[in-house]
Amino acid sequence: MTVLTESFWLWQFLGRLHPLIVHFPVGLLCVALLLEIIGWSRKSNDMRAGITALVWIGAISSVIAAAFGLILINQEEYGGQTVTVHQWSGLATMALALITVFALRSGRQALYRTLLFLTVFGVTIAGHYGALLTHGEDYLTSVLPFGSEKESPSAPNPNLAFISTTNQPLNPKQIEDLNLEVRSILAHNCYSCHSATKTKGELRLDKKELLFKGGENGPILKAGHPEDSDMIRRVKLPAGHDDAMPTKGKRLTEKEIAVLEFWIKQGAPWPSGAEKSIYRVAALEPRLPAIPAATGDLTNPIDRFVNVYFQKNKIAWKTVVNDHTYIRRVYLDVIGLLPTPEQIQAFTADPRPNKREILVTELLNRNEDYAQHWLTFWNDALRNDYSGTGYITKGRFDITKWLYASLKNNKPYNQFVRELVSPTEESAGFIKGIKWRGTINSSQSTEMQAAQNVAQVLLGLNLKCASCHDSFISDWKLADSYAFANVFSDTTLEIHRCDKPTGKMAGRRILFKELGTINGEAPTPERLRQLAEFMVQPKDGRLYRTLVNRIWAQLLGRGLVEPVDMMDNEPWSQDLLDWLASDFTANGYNIKRLMTTILTSKTYQLPSISVKDPALLTAPTYVFEGMVRRRLSAEQFADAVSIVFNPVYGDTSLATKLLPETIKQEIPFPRASLVKNDPFLTALGRPNRETVSTSRTSQANLLQALELTNGAKFNTALKNGAIIWKAKYPTSDLIVKELYRKALGREPQPKELAVAEKIVGKKPSIEGIQDLVWAISLHPEFQLIN
Amino acid sequence: MKSTWNRREFLQKTSAATMAALAASAPMASLLSGCKTKKIGQTDGTADTVILLWMAGGMAHTETFDPKRYTPFETGMEGNRVLSTFKSAPTVLDGIHFSEGLQSIGKVMDKGTLIRSYVSADLGFILHSRHQYHWHTCYEPPQTVAAPHIGSWIAKELGPKNPVIPAFIDIGQRFTVGEAEELKAFHTAGFLGNEFGPFFIPDPSQGLESVRPPVGMNSSRFERRNQLYNDLVSNSPIGEFGSDYQKESLKRSMEQAYMLLNSPEAKVFDLSTEPKESYDIYNTGKFGLGCLLARRLTEQGARFISVTTEYEPFKGFDTHENGHTRMVDMKKLIDGPVAQLVADLDKTGHLDRTMIILASEFSRDMMVEGRPGEKVKEQVNQPDILSDMKFYGMHRHFTDGASVLMFGGGIKRGFVYGKTADERPCKSIENPVKIDGIHQTIYHALGIAPDTQYEIEKRPFYTTPDGKGKAVMDLLS
Repeated sequence: MTVLTESFWLWQFLGRLHPLIVHFPVGLLCVALLLEIIGWSRKSNDMRAGITALVWIGAISSVIAAAFGLILINQEEYGGQTVTVHQWSGLATMALALITVFALRSGRQALYRTLLFLTVFGVTIAGHYGALLTHGEDYLTSVLPFGSEKESPSAPNPNLAFISTTNQPLNPKQIEDLNLEVRSILAHNCYSCHSATKTKGELRLDKKELLFKGGENGPILKAGHPEDSDMIRRVKLPAGHDDAMPTKGKRLTEKEIAVLEFWIKQGAPWPSGAEKSIYRVAALEPRLPAIPAATGDLTNPIDRFVNVYFQKNKIAWKTVVNDHTYIRRVYLDVIGLLPTPEQIQAFTADPRPNKREILVTELLNRNEDYAQHWLTFWNDALRNDYSGTGYITKGRFDITKWLYASLKNNKPYNQFVRELVSPTEESAGFIKGIKWRGTINSSQSTEMQAAQNVAQVLLGLNLKCASCHDSFISDWKLADSYAFANVFSDTTLEIHRCDKPTGKMAGRRILFKELGTINGEAPTPERLRQLAEFMVQPKDGRLYRTLVNRIWAQLLGRGLVEPVDMMDNEPWSQDLLDWLASDFTANGYNIKRLMTTILTSKTYQLPSISVKDPALLTAPTYVFEGMVRRRLSAEQFADAVSIVFNPVYGDTSLATKLLPETIKQEIPFPRASLVKNDPFLTALGRPNRETVSTSRTSQANLLQALELTNGAKFNTALKNGAIIWKAKYPTSDLIVKELYRKALGREPQPKELAVAEKIVGKKPSIEGIQDLVWAISLHPEFQLIN
Repeated sequence: MKSTWNRREFLQKTSAATMAALAASAPMASLLSGCKTKKIGQTDGTADTVILLWMAGGMAHTETFDPKRYTPFETGMEGNRVLSTFKSAPTVLDGIHFSEGLQSIGKVMDKGTLIRSYVSADLGFILHSRHQYHWHTCYEPPQTVAAPHIGSWIAKELGPKNPVIPAFIDIGQRFTVGEAEELKAFHTAGFLGNEFGPFFIPDPSQGLESVRPPVGMNSSRFERRNQLYNDLVSNSPIGEFGSDYQKESLKRSMEQAYMLLNSPEAKVFDLSTEPKESYDIYNTGKFGLGCLLARRLTEQGARFISVTTEYEPFKGFDTHENGHTRMVDMKKLIDGPVAQLVADLDKTGHLDRTMIILASEFSRDMMVEGRPGEKVKEQVNQPDILSDMKFYGMHRHFTDGASVLMFGGGIKRGFVYGKTADERPCKSIENPVKIDGIHQTIYHALGIAPDTQYEIEKRPFYTTPDGKGKAVMDLLS
């Protein structure tokens, strides 16, 4: 549709008369048909003159309506299929109405009646689409008592119960709550067009004085009089109306409108002084809650906190898992490897009551194995990959040697962070980020990348929105992001809003000013040193909560807070999170010690929980009941096959150049965490490490199944293994039993043995062995960490 | 779960009763109830399948679909005189000429639209991989989240057309060549999840390998292996594993994989079953066979297929020397198969619902690099005087004008859109088309709503940046 640049008022006026005029043809022609039917059924001609008049006026008014409609469509911004259908059905109806008149005049009654009928049919179609345009799709149905479950409103805010009930003046606390609710409604529905970033109609709703000042059409509300407030009028207008707000996105709910009306009725109170954030903001400072009393065999502090949580949520403690499940779990979690049948045997037979604690200690002491497993997690998080890319030639530096050594030596976490933020040459890759060739969006400068990644990975905080414009999802402002990015910058950065320079230069600040003041004049290394020192202080509770939550999520399948990069969200147990972080800080920032506490708790040893829908895991209704069942990661799976059957990777696959020189002496076999990404690992979920990735999905999909079913990498490894196994084990019975022991840690049941032996053959064949291993490795019992 | 009825559904459900009561006219009710539920701005679509023919490496418009004044090579000539190094030849469309060597495609232009005014983004450095990323995702790299390939968006929104054929098939690109990491960066479903990622067939002549039991395994063994797997799973004491999403999704995926590998449809991947005459027309190389595979897959119900001439630095269309000579070969590679693909699909009627797009990340020129007046560093040194045939060709990157072909799926037949200047710089001077316009035209034809978006890290991420892409309605019939 063409939009005239300069709209003459008369055209606009006539165009807007269209919705009024259309009711003439609609009404008149329908009545004409109705009377025609009545006359026909009564076989009477009494009403002929009246009907004729109706048809004539209806036809003429349809011409006028169509003309006005065409004007309207050119005046206003209409688009899409609905308007096209409406336009053409309307024009067709007009034409039909005119032909009907001619048929009537020429006295061909049968033809006239048919045409009148068709015209009314056309009116119905055109009218229906016209109504869709004016009233929106759910105009009619939204008032129906049946079939329309309202969008379930969020749990009613108990603080706002007074809204419907009170006639009393509000107390200060209530005023604050009400104002908070109003600001929250405005933020979620209006800020994207009416705040500092975009100021449509010269109206801003994000500041008290600007909201009361109004926009280009003057004030938007009259305190005490919602009925005279333009704001209320507009949010109540039907969608598609020219004045309706919001113009795009979802409409306000009735409840939200009621809150706004109530607020205006109350005089639109807006307390002066510091405003409470409309977003949930987690406390920065650490907090050490008292450990609840030990009861019975619940002595581990985690269990004592969880016990309180269980009581509150009426959950009973279940019996902890058996030795067999426990050893498999803990092996995979600590070193990423399956236990051998001998290790399982020895552990199950071990009579010592504290054998689980002993096992955890032993595994955590396997420094190389531990480092090789946790390297995967940290490589994802620090986007450290073994291959660089061309458009970033010499624009990306790996930190593999540093990372491997740090994990192997269990570097205290405060030191670990210090070296990432204020780096040595070996650890500089993380904040140096990826230097892209060519012009890039200013929110992707290396300094801004450093700010975003430090915030996301280390502080569990999303700065990405606020590096382009003031955030709509938090209180972080563009200026905050730039000030933080500027700490990493040798030159002073100019603030760009949505990639356009603003002419303002960035300050230099740490995100949480409570942590300290950075000397903006100091050279970069000194600034980074200051930043690192400020960040790792014990009083930066956020840094340590983020870390303990990440470790928890890795071991239990779901964080205390989810998503793990949004640490402002509510944890399912604030006390437990706070205690873990404080305990971590008070005891040498020792990740392995933290793991010991978790892995030896009864909480960790509870039976795993199966979830039908992964969305339930991040839903606010989530209730912790135990470890969430997980699937082996790409690396764990490849390593498990390597250990059970035959190495998937050879020495040549190792990313030797980047790894420590001694790596070959430190590995049991070429572990998947140490090889470059390939289609096999990609299909199984290893990310392209171009952006930070702190959690992987454990859902299977078709591409993955295809890679496992006929992928060359996997099948070659199986085939080569089968040749070796055939030479080693003479009978099918031996092969099946050995495979079950090694892969699943148990003997096959008679039925399983029978099925398996059938495939391997009386005399084992290479193909038979290969197919059996394939079937076992895709078995849920093998694939899942239970 | 449906929470509310919209107006149309209400009319659908109540029309019979209401209308009967109002006008005692039953036929009207039955006519009305045919309406479908769609969002405003969303169409039913004119296409179900998309084939992207990717001219990787920067295809010069002046040497292909938008020829300019031809100047034959002479030793010592001024480079600035050369706009095209080929003669031009007429096409089936009046007054429209293609560069010599593309006569076959010229003959099918009555079935599609020629866009002569594509403008690539200005990303500072003109780099193949960044511009390819931009073309395929509609977003300029780098992004703070992993952006999905257009094929992944389509796979996510529409799913597979035939349940056993993967929704997004990528033919012809290997990832063992230079700049492999950059190629991986956009050959991905990004935040939409691996499920919607590409199914790779790097070599179409080996397509069958991708969808048949592993090498050395005959079908009865494959069948037996699958049976064994099911028997072992059902005979194991897995009660304790209950039903959860990992296990269920694993089971489902294994069944799908088995279905595909064992289905009659898998035969379409076997190009050896194609009649010889037809096979020979397509067999100009890997790309040509890719077109053949794409045709066969389309006939069996594929959703999105990409066939590439394959990007490898300084190979294929990435001509940095000997441009003219190499262009002769590239034309031989594409001319026959592309024309045949269009003609075949038209003959069988599939072209009506299949949209074919032929495009490249940017164009090339002999003298101008990038934006006119802004020379980019670190690029080939093209002398002003051509002392040697190897300098005769389009060796520099050019972003201000390029050609795109589109056929089928609602695209106008025999239509030309846009224009480039006849003198250097040969940039778009009429109806410029940008990448979000191309993407939105494709989405529009597929009936994918223009405001399709997902929230990732709390940021709404649209099919086109900010959901602002506008379909080029002039291209659609």
